[in-house]
Amino acid sequence: MRRDLLPYTLSRIVLSLALGGFFYLSGSSVWSAMLIAGVLIALFLWAPNSGRYSVHPEYGITALRRDERTQVINDQAARNAFVVVMLLSGAALIYCGAIGIASDALVYLKIILLAGVGVYYISDLALRRTQ
Amino acid sequence: MTQADLADKVGVTRQTIIAIEKEKFVPSAKLALEITRALETKFDQVFWLE
Repeated sequence: MRRDLLPYTLSRIVLSLALGGFFYLSGSSVWSAMLIAGVLIALFLWAPNSGRYSVHPEYGITALRRDERTQVINDQAARNAFVVVMLLSGAALIYCGAIGIASDALVYLKIILLAGVGVYYISDLALRRTQ
Repeated sequence: MTQADLADKVGVTRQTIIAIEKEKFVPSAKLALEITRALETKFDQVFWLE
């Protein structure tokens, strides 16, 4: 662990523990809450070494910044996800209208949002390989 | 100077420097000027139009 990233590391550990506590208080078991907190801490500790962020220890708890290439990639991935969500929403609207059901709308919405998140991360990975 | 040193100097990731070297990513004018200054060389020795 880098000593100059201590404010970042400590803040992320506190955040992870708080999120673990939130999951515990909202009904998850102690073990799953601890697992979530542990995974988050591991991800936060990995992030400075991931090559995804430029590291600026002088900014304290916000030491990790997206540089301009990462920003371009994230913007493109977000555009791709937005287009997919809009197209799927339109298709779901037409489908539900055609067969006359509205009760499944929430199920479709969940699937569409999950598809959007999936497209975002897949686009992000693909663009990182090609750009 | 290594790619990591240059990346640290101009405040980007090493992956960004690699992408610029491979001509897969076109940097902004600001970043291009910062890279030129960090390398202590002339702009047209680092960047050119094809």
